[in-house]
Amino acid sequence: MRNLYLAGIAAILFGAAAAAAGAASYTADTEQSRLEFVGVQAGAEFKGVFHKFTANVDFAPDALAGSRIDVQIDMNSVDSKDKDRDTTIRSKDIFDVAHNPTAHYVTKTITKTAAGYSAVGALTLRGVTKDVPIDFQFVPAGAGAKLTGSAKLNRLDFGVGQGDWKSTENVGDGVKINFALVLKPKT
Amino acid sequence: MPNQSPPTRYSAVAQAFHWIIAALIVVQFTLGWTAQFLPIGARKLARLDWHKSFGMTILTLAVLRLLWRLFNRPPELPPGMTKFERQAARANHVLIYVLLFVMPLTGWMMSSAKNYSVSWFHQFTWPNLVGPNEQAFNLLKSTHDTLSWLLFAVALLHILAALKHHFWNKDDVLKRMLPFTKSEKRP
Repeated sequence: MRNLYLAGIAAILFGAAAAAAGAASYTADTEQSRLEFVGVQAGAEFKGVFHKFTANVDFAPDALAGSRIDVQIDMNSVDSKDKDRDTTIRSKDIFDVAHNPTAHYVTKTITKTAAGYSAVGALTLRGVTKDVPIDFQFVPAGAGAKLTGSAKLNRLDFGVGQGDWKSTENVGDGVKINFALVLKPKT
Repeated sequence: MPNQSPPTRYSAVAQAFHWIIAALIVVQFTLGWTAQFLPIGARKLARLDWHKSFGMTILTLAVLRLLWRLFNRPPELPPGMTKFERQAARANHVLIYVLLFVMPLTGWMMSSAKNYSVSWFHQFTWPNLVGPNEQAFNLLKSTHDTLSWLLFAVALLHILAALKHHFWNKDDVLKRMLPFTKSEKRP
């Protein structure tokens, strides 16, 4: 019994030490963070944001192997500053939020680059999972950090746009993603 | 120039402005009025995409035309018209000129207010005139729609008046705006 007790303490201490040596854990403050996409519609760019998402980030510049960015996006929270367009985007032919209410992005590998970091992660969007690379910067700020970056993807890779919306004449295939996450240490 | 006698015919440039804009207005009515009956979707987006590109073309031509008009005298109205007829003709022409600007401008503004930036045939994007605003969009849309009826009315009056001059008064008011015709010498 006593041995078990000691073993428990040792395990906790060991765990804490391992965590200290590895990546620090953060969550994004959604209120202050921004997740934006830029599409091309009728030849002109338009912007939208997702108001609701959660981001869990384990990151340390010296422990990239143990670092990870994990983002869950509530697809219903899309806002392109036009109700008609938002309703259309949520519909079956585009995001199909009734069947795919969330999108998920989780990194597999993170590498150092001249400008910051780049990562390759798996994006699950509208039920399709594909690798999407991202470029980002990680700037510590107090106990937390700011994680800003961008990505590019092709919406048709994920089946975003069925029927009439498959045409890239009206809505471009390429979509830019910009994110600025305000990270708070996980308690 | 002030000492020159007024021309008897519209110049080739004035004729080109007149007929190109006239043809574009017919295209605009066809696209704009039919788009209203389409459900929100890719087809409506595509039709309004053309409508906006042609609209911006008309606005550009209207600017050039007005500049041309300021420095080039048009032929005078035929003798024998009553004071009322002269005033009515002038008022109708002024109204058409005003609408050549106001129609595209209200269209451009309503697109901006709905956060759908205006492209010019997918070659470049015009800047937004106002920020996203649903109330402003509704007001601008009803203005654009109502003024389209006014334009329809004044254009119809303009056409009927030209035909009346040609067939009833048998003067050269219509012919002098037509390419490949000759106007009789004025005494």
